[in-house]
Parts: sequence; C-alpha cells; structure tokens
Amino acid sequence: MAVEIRKGFHQSLDEVGHDIVRLAGMVTEALGKATEALLAGDLRVAEEIITNDDVIDALTLDIEERCYHLLTLQQPMATDLRQVVTALRLTAEIERSGDLVANIMKANRRMYGREVDPVLRGLIKRLGEQVHRSFQLAIDAYVERDESLAAAIDDIDDDIDELHVQYIQAIFERHGEGRAALQLSVQLAMVGRFYERIGDHAVNIGERVVYMVTGWLPEHSGVARQAVRKADGDAGSSPLGGG
Amino acid sequence: MEVLLAAVAVVLAALVARSAAGRRHLQRRVHELVQRSEVGGDRHGSSPQASITDLERVTSAVADERDQARAGAARLAQALAAIPQGVVVWDEDGREVLRNPAAVAYASGRHADALVEQAVSELLGAAMEGRPQRRTLDLYGPPRRVLLISAFPLDDGEEGAGAIVVVDDVSERGRLEAMRRDFVANISHELKTPVGAMGLLADTIASEDDPAVTRRLAHRMTGEALRVGRIIDDLLDLTRIEAEEAPRREPVGVRTVVDEAVERVRPLSGARHILVDTDEVRPGHWVRADERQLVSAVANLLENACKYSDEGSTVEVRSRADATSVEISVHDHGIGIPGRDLERVFERFYRVDRARSRGTGGTGLGLAIVRHVATNHQGQVSVASREGEGSVFTLRLPNGVGSVDDEAPRVGEAAGPVATGR
Repeated sequence: MAVEIRKGFHQSLDEVGHDIVRLAGMVTEALGKATEALLAGDLRVAEEIITNDDVIDALTLDIEERCYHLLTLQQPMATDLRQVVTALRLTAEIERSGDLVANIMKANRRMYGREVDPVLRGLIKRLGEQVHRSFQLAIDAYVERDESLAAAIDDIDDDIDELHVQYIQAIFERHGEGRAALQLSVQLAMVGRFYERIGDHAVNIGERVVYMVTGWLPEHSGVARQAVRKADGDAGSSPLGGG
Repeated sequence: MEVLLAAVAVVLAALVARSAAGRRHLQRRVHELVQRSEVGGDRHGSSPQASITDLERVTSAVADERDQARAGAARLAQALAAIPQGVVVWDEDGREVLRNPAAVAYASGRHADALVEQAVSELLGAAMEGRPQRRTLDLYGPPRRVLLISAFPLDDGEEGAGAIVVVDDVSERGRLEAMRRDFVANISHELKTPVGAMGLLADTIASEDDPAVTRRLAHRMTGEALRVGRIIDDLLDLTRIEAEEAPRREPVGVRTVVDEAVERVRPLSGARHILVDTDEVRPGHWVRADERQLVSAVANLLENACKYSDEGSTVEVRSRADATSVEISVHDHGIGIPGRDLERVFERFYRVDRARSRGTGGTGLGLAIVRHVATNHQGQVSVASREGEGSVFTLRLPNGVGSVDDEAPRVGEAAGPVATGR
C-alpha cells in the first residue's frame, strides 16, 4: 500500500516537472519573439505575447496548487522535499520572467513608430540573444539535473551585465547629443533593465537547480559566516538537509 | 458369478458408449473451431485422425496469416519512420500506440519542443471527441520554424478507434511563398516609380513654354529613363547569369579581380571619401571562374559597402584560402543590417529600408547577382552583420589551383598560372 502511494507521488512529481518545462518553453519562446518584435516594431506579436502571459499565469497557479497538495498530502522528505520546494521556487522565477517579457512588449507599444539608433538596436539584439541563451541553459540544467551548467549561466550573466552597462551608456550619449528624445530614452533604458532582470532570474533558476541536486545554496556561505559570528552552536537539524 | 459377469458387461458397455459419445463431441468441437477460423474445411472429420489433420491445417494457416500481419505492420512502421512528418497515433482509450522517429523529439522535449508536444496532445484530445483540428505553430526556436499540426479522428465505421496527428514543418513553403509574393510586388514598385515620374514630367513639358524649364525637365526625364534602363539591364544580366549554368572557367587571380572591382566603384568611393583597403588580398590566391562575372560580383559587394558606410570611413577587402576554397570578404563599418532581414538581402529587389535604398540609386538587384555568380561557380555568399557596427559579406569559391595560406609551400603558387606581375 505504502509503495503504491509513493509511486503516485513520483508520478505527480514528474508531471509537475514536465509542466515546469512547458511553462519555461512558453517564456523562452516569447522572449525570442519579443526581441524580434521590438526591433521590427511589430505590434501584432506584442499583443500576442501580452495576451499569452495570462496562459502562463494560469499554468503557474495550477502547478503551485499541485505542489501544495504534494507537500500537505504526501509530506515528502529529503530529495523529494527539495524537488517540490524547487518546483515552487522555479515556477515563481519563470512566471516573473514571463511578466518581464510582457513588459518589454508594452514598452514596444509605447515606442511604436520612433526610430532607434542602429548602435542601440545592435546592443538590444545582443542583450536579447544572451538573455535567451542563458534562460534556455537554466532550463537545460533543470531537465538534465546538471549543476555544472549553472556555472555557464553565471558567465553569460557577467556578459549580460556588461552589455547592459554599455547599452545604458550608449543611451546617455545619444540623448546628450540630442539624437534620442527623453521619452524614448526612458523606454529604452527600461527595456534594458527588463532584459537584465530576466538574466538574473535565469541565474536564480541555475542556483535552485544546484540546490535540488546537491542541497547547497549560495546563501549557505553567508549563513555559515553568520553562524560563526554568532558562535553559539545550536545545531538543530533542518528537515531539508541531507539527501 | 453370472450376476457379477453381467454387471461387468453392463459397466463396460456403458463405458464404450460414453467414450464414443465423448469422441463425437470432441470431433464436433474441432469442426466448429475449423469453421470459425474461416480457412475452409466443410467436411466433417469422420475420424479422430481427420480432425487432427484439420486442426493442423488450420493452425499453420493462422500462423501464416500472423506472419503476414507482422510483416505488414513492420512495413507500415518503416514507412512511417521514413516520412519527414511527425506522426502520433492514439488508441480508443487515449493511449499512445505509435510515435514515429520524427515525432520522438517532441515527447518530453524542452523549450519549443515542449510547446509542440502540448499542442499535439491537445489536438489529439479534440480529435478523440470527433473534432478534426489543425493549428499553426510559429516557433522562435532556435531553429526557427513554422509547424502545421493536424489531428483527425480514426474510426472503424461505427465507433471511435482513436486519433492520429501529423506534424508538418512548413517553414520553407512559407518562406518561398513570401519571396515570390514580395518579388512581384517589388518589381512592380521599382518600375512604376520612374515610369510614373516620366509621365508627370512629360505632362509638365507639354504645357511649358519657357525653354529653360523645358530643358531642365527633359534632363530629369533622361535621368529617370536611365534609371529604368539600369534596372532592366540588371534584370537581363541576372537572367543571363542564372541561365548560364556552366560559365567559362579559367584560373583568375583574386588580386586582379579585386583591383578591377575597386576601379569600377572608384567614382562612388571617391565621392564619399571612402578608403578601400585591399592590403589583405594575397597575390597568390587563384580561383577558377568567369572573370567578368566575378568582377561584377565583387564590385557589387564593394558598391554596397560604400553606400551604407559613413562618409570618410574605410572598407576592407580580404582574401583567405584553404585546400579547397578561397574566400573573398568585404568588411564595412556602416549601419549594418537588422537580423530579421539578414537572410533575405540576397533576394531580388529586397530592401531593408526602402526610403534609404532608393536614395542610394541602387537597382535592388546587386546582391541577387552576387548570389547567382556564387552559385554558378559552385560557391556561396554569406553575410554577418551587427546593426551599428557594420557588415561582412563573404564570397566563397572553389580554390583554383590549390594554393593555400602561409602553411602551404610556395611551390604551390609556382605550379599555378603565371602571375600578372603584381
């Protein structure tokens, strides 16, 4: 009997995993198309992406609900528990990224009809490509349970941050020379910020995958330092620890 | 004693009668089986041996049919594996019973594939309820593709027997269609503009008395006529190059070709103060080509590079060779080409930015000519570009004499045709 219940649990967990991959698929697709639509001033695709964000939100809620069921009805421990908790965290990260993509498309609407300098367009394209790559990589890491991919995401993220700085600098220059109106410049800067944030979410997903596989989080180093500082070792065992 | 004997006789008689009845019963069942198997056998086995023979006949016939059915199923599976479309079949309970290799990638796929799988099961679900459906998925990927997914219910005449879905990649179809549509629209537009202008100018001249104004208008008419003439010349040129599948080929020095092409664009580069730097073109590189066609291709690349660069900037021409091919590349530091236009710039009359292109006086056929020259020489042309940074067009042709860069022995060059002394 107990074996049967466990099997049900793992089946449900697998289904949750598949749906997370599907959710992420929607966001990566939207992200790639968004960059194109932004550069082409394509409002039809913009509407499509903004509308589709509701589908992403609905699936997010559905996945979350199922995770709560798994937690309360099955009370998983160790690896199982880490998987459910990771699923919950990942869903939130992916959903937020979807919102940011929709935000980029809303900016696209506000920028409609205004000409953007080729240098800025080139930088937007590169930002878009790198963020897309890093988000795909994060999902690859999750599907393959491969924590080493997370390191690659960090590298791309450094590149994204640098591109973002360059991009903001270029906007300032164009604006200073009177080649970009204030309104347009602000929209452009926000778009850059949205991309950069999606990149950060990809990094978070990578970290959560490392946690799921190894039980380790970057924050643990900070926690350990804090514990040493406090120096009163109350070693209560966490239900999440160990594997 | 007699009583005992009589009793034994009665028992024996009963036993014999029963076994005879049992045998007849068995034979009847065998006969029924034979008839049910639909492989013939009308005659009633009159003895146990006959019944056994019947049974053997039936068994081997059934085994044959089973083998045939297996071979048939295997053939169908192979046929489904060979077609490029993805096929998934569900049985009447919604269980997956078949998925051909082209559709395997979607199952438990990630990124865009996860969305394809989602659509596949949604459409199969609808088809199970008797509603055939189709949906077009425009996927960013990479790879970028457009998939047409169609699902149909299967039934055996009265009730549902499952459903089938077919996933077809229609990206190429859509691309060709767009190309054809745009070509017709573009060529009409390119010809209409100067012809319309000529009509207007002629109208004005007809009602103009001032000879000075008439002269000026006539001069502008000549300009428009020349423009139409140029477009038609280029179209004829392109048609000729397209038709000439195997052009005359002889070893041509890359240096010679580049120098001639630079000479040809000198009026344009001079007017825009653009320096064409050809220092990186090696005298030792040779290709087998029709020299006239090749010069026209390189000149077209140079012309574009000069047009889309800022005044006073530099355009570089470089050449590289390996054992099988020679690359001639033209680098500019101009405005660059947006990503979505990159693969289409080689189409006839395709314009990235209409307003700007017409201002440059081009005919819209330059890059189409370059591509056809490359194809005619079993070569190819490619482009890499970043907006705001510039573009690199690379023409790759088969190596004329097999001389390669530095690592190659100098003897390789001596074996080639006599250099033109540069």
